[in-house]
Amino acid sequence: MGEIKFTKTHEWARINNDIATAGITDHAQSELGDIVFVELPSVGDEVTQNSQCATVESTKAASEVYAPLSGKIDEINEELVNNPQLINESPFDKGWMFKIKIKDRTELDNLMDEATYKEFIEKESH
Amino acid sequence: MEETKSLQLKRTPLYPYHKKVKAKLVNFSGWEMPIEYEGILKETKNCRNNCALFDVSHMGEIEIKGKNAHSFIQYLTTNNVDRLENHSLQYNLFINEKATILDDFMLYHLGKNHFLCVVNASNKDKIVNWLYRNKTSSVEIEDKSDSTALLSLQGPYAEKIMEKISPNIKEIKYVHFIYTMIAGFECLVSRSGYTGEDGFELYCPNKNASILWELLLDLGKNFSLSPAGLGARDVLRIEAGYPLYGHEIDESTNPIEASLGWAVKVKEKDFIGKEKMLNTLKAPASRKRIGFVMEEKGVARQGYAIYDTKNNCIGTVTSGTYSPNLNKFIGMGYINSSSIENPIYIEIRGKLLRARIDKFPFIKINTKR
Repeated sequence: MGEIKFTKTHEWARINNDIATAGITDHAQSELGDIVFVELPSVGDEVTQNSQCATVESTKAASEVYAPLSGKIDEINEELVNNPQLINESPFDKGWMFKIKIKDRTELDNLMDEATYKEFIEKESH
Repeated sequence: MEETKSLQLKRTPLYPYHKKVKAKLVNFSGWEMPIEYEGILKETKNCRNNCALFDVSHMGEIEIKGKNAHSFIQYLTTNNVDRLENHSLQYNLFINEKATILDDFMLYHLGKNHFLCVVNASNKDKIVNWLYRNKTSSVEIEDKSDSTALLSLQGPYAEKIMEKISPNIKEIKYVHFIYTMIAGFECLVSRSGYTGEDGFELYCPNKNASILWELLLDLGKNFSLSPAGLGARDVLRIEAGYPLYGHEIDESTNPIEASLGWAVKVKEKDFIGKEKMLNTLKAPASRKRIGFVMEEKGVARQGYAIYDTKNNCIGTVTSGTYSPNLNKFIGMGYINSSSIENPIYIEIRGKLLRARIDKFPFIKINTKR
């Protein structure tokens, strides 16, 4: 298990060497409600930090998912196509969405650590 | 259904319960209502498979009585009130002079010259004003919305649960009602609902709502009864093919194109909007409300465009959802009458996804007809 980082748009990224595994946070899935459809990027896509690269649809609304880091999509979680509710059930583990081959490690400085993210969502909900 | 935390929102008498069990609350037509308790999909499935209890106290209840109440309500609505037996209810519409829909509602025949209109929360004030504006002598209008709670028990086990309250409940026929004592107070109980399942709607004064709610949940324990929110209610009504005001119908739609012509009795009565309605009926409707099933996965949402195979825009989506009971993405919308042909394509985030027009209802209707 590598270091986990968070975005202001409620994505997480777990860093293992030059690969970042990404998904949406528990807070995000809980706000969205039951997720019924996921649109993932394709392997090989180049993504940039904070740009839209996936969509999750819940029973209530469609939400954009932003890339926590720039790089090339290395792998996607195909399981989600037939079982999008994995994001609700296990947002940080089985509900991972895509892996990025990290292009620029300095971008990690733009992300929050777990304690800061917790504070961030506390503030946001008050 | 935008979420807000405004303090001015109205609350139903069951608000403390919703808060206690940490239901997700949203602003629905100015009411702070539970959209879900444990998840929309779970609640939707539980209603079809077992039973669900809904707090729909936001609905408007308007009582109309007086010597001319019958002729008054007959003139203001499209369905034939003469056909309404005592202690029964009918689906009905208020339309304007332009023959477009002001609201769809349930009309209860409480007694001779005595009616109850159960209207959409979003239209309640508009309808109260409309009634006053068209009021004749010897008609009394009373808005009881803020003092009346409405609980809806829906699903295959609804009858079994209600039987525990009173054995005579079983005798209530579909779209009929009785007054019955429950836990020491009087309730109006009708066999009706908005899910396509057998079920009951229970009206009581606000002060008794919590007792009734807790009692029903307790009696339903052995039948997997669970509370369900407005999210599940919306999926259930789409599965059943029922229109919702603000989606399929509004002041820009007429009953014919909305496939509600069956509730407009032009040959049987005179009513506001009849002249225009007769004109409308002379020509085939230019557009039609249809249901569709996505053949390629995606959630169609209100306002999305519908295309034909030649890339012509032929209509608009009015509602769409994922149906956990069918494991399909379904929806409704309006399509030009000349273009009702399969397949159709829904534009979702710039992509055209194939769908197939399908007949309503999407699920088997299980009401006790």
